[in-house]
Amino acid sequence: MSYWNVVSAVAWRTLKNALTNPQILLPTMMFPLFFFTAFAGGLSQVSQVPGFDFPPGYTAFQFVFVLLQSAAFGGVFTGFGVARDFEGGFAKRLMLAAPRRSGIVAGYALAAFVRWVLVAVMLTVIAFAVGMNVGGGAVDLVGLFTLAALVNLCGFFWAGGIAMRFRTIQAAPLMQMPVFLILFFAPVYVPLELLDGWIEGVASVNPVTYLLETGRGFVAGDAPHIAGAFAIAIGLGLFFWVWAFRGLRNAEAAGA
Amino acid sequence: MTDGNGIEVRGLVREYKKGPRAVDGIDLTVEPGEIYGFLGPNGAGKSTTVHVLTTLLPPTAGTALVGGYDVVKDGPRIRGLIGVALQEAALDPLLTARDHLRLQATLQSVPKEQRSSRADELIHRVGLVEAADRKVQGYSGGMKRRLDLALALVHTPRILFLDEPTTGLDPQSRTDIWNEVALMRREAGVTVFLTTQYLEEADVLADRVGIIDAGKIVAEGTPAELKAEIGRPSVHAIPRTEDDRPKIAEFLARFGEPLASTRDVAVRLGDGLGLTDIVRAVDADGVDIADLELHAPTLDDVFLAKTGRTLEGAAEEAEEAQQEKRK
Repeated sequence: MSYWNVVSAVAWRTLKNALTNPQILLPTMMFPLFFFTAFAGGLSQVSQVPGFDFPPGYTAFQFVFVLLQSAAFGGVFTGFGVARDFEGGFAKRLMLAAPRRSGIVAGYALAAFVRWVLVAVMLTVIAFAVGMNVGGGAVDLVGLFTLAALVNLCGFFWAGGIAMRFRTIQAAPLMQMPVFLILFFAPVYVPLELLDGWIEGVASVNPVTYLLETGRGFVAGDAPHIAGAFAIAIGLGLFFWVWAFRGLRNAEAAGA
Repeated sequence: MTDGNGIEVRGLVREYKKGPRAVDGIDLTVEPGEIYGFLGPNGAGKSTTVHVLTTLLPPTAGTALVGGYDVVKDGPRIRGLIGVALQEAALDPLLTARDHLRLQATLQSVPKEQRSSRADELIHRVGLVEAADRKVQGYSGGMKRRLDLALALVHTPRILFLDEPTTGLDPQSRTDIWNEVALMRREAGVTVFLTTQYLEEADVLADRVGIIDAGKIVAEGTPAELKAEIGRPSVHAIPRTEDDRPKIAEFLARFGEPLASTRDVAVRLGDGLGLTDIVRAVDADGVDIADLELHAPTLDDVFLAKTGRTLEGAAEEAEEAQQEKRK
């Protein structure tokens, strides 16, 4: 019970701040929307390139990328909040009051997830409103959103681990840059088959490529390597979960 | 060994990686229901001790039991029975006082149905009724301190740690905090571990005082015991003119050991003598004195006797050392 109290208290406070202060919530909402509009709208002719084979169309093709990107960055932005809490001293209150401190990390993770759900709902509504086609059924969409939720947790645990090790918002680029790179070294604008040269080499070993292809497959109703994609997402989630909790131990040893 | 509300520390050491020992083998015992004043200049090791006792920082060596629980092994249990107000109030500028109380009550597992009434009660108690629904970013230093104190009390703790609770506050806010701390001990029997660099604060509030300097406890006892330990009161006579000074000095020398003073003529009173003896002699001998003052020994005198420095001087030294370190 006390564990859940800590989780819910930390999540409530993070969400209350996010929902009542536009300067916190707006970037999380606006960035995916901007990317979706820019990519799906501005680059729609890319789907005419020979060899581009994605029946639901370019809007759906980009929707999956922006959904996964919003999930990852939703986690990273919550990591920024963790860093600010440590830098400003508020984390001390949490560390002093929480009987089991792992609940603090879980609370932030829950807040990151709820924040992302709001963005995902907005993004989905807009995507359907602009005529996105979906070949898959409800189960496929559940698969897509579950995959994105796992990416959101990975993003938070990565950024939270950094935040608790450095305990300053100056570590923000360290949280953001690797996520940005790994996302954009995946087949963002065209399928993997149409990439060439070094970017094709990098993308073919990038785990995000598998998540993206499976996600796009869910939308098309023909998802490839589902088990592999979930294994990668869960594996990364577990790895970064350990990373985050070791970050917490690091913060404890330093006196928060 | 103390019972469930006490604190017992033996050989406690906290060493930082690139610095000296902040806490250097201290022993102390705080009895249940006692207000223990931990007095010392900046950088003496007061806050580090509080951080270790509140499980915020692990000790390098030694043992510390808080409420009968070990700070290393039983952190979660300790956190459930203590209330803490740190030197810098850990508040979220975007939340209101009521939000903070709700958050703290949930973190401390106060039953859901009691959270709202407990928040109202504490808001009244610390005088934040009108500001309760305003964001903390607009609060004064005193308001933040009072909110911090209220937060420390949300779950009715048995042991309260207050780390320099009145530093930087105006006299009225300081008195308010003192009254609140005294009330908590009187009404709820809470054990209070209070760090301060203000002599007056330790003198007014604490049942017993531990004086810490450079990580070591240099003196411990009740304020009266500590003052008695270093000596008797002094009498200070202010001459009407400079020319009267030698005559008054000769007169006062009959009552005790002369003390060096440029402002007045002073003596440390001899055994069994008091101010009344001097007043009678002034009348009898017709000595002309502008004013006569009795100075009781202060905790600063105790600090001076134990460390060779005044508390103020030690604080300046610590500040200089920190500036040197920053260079």
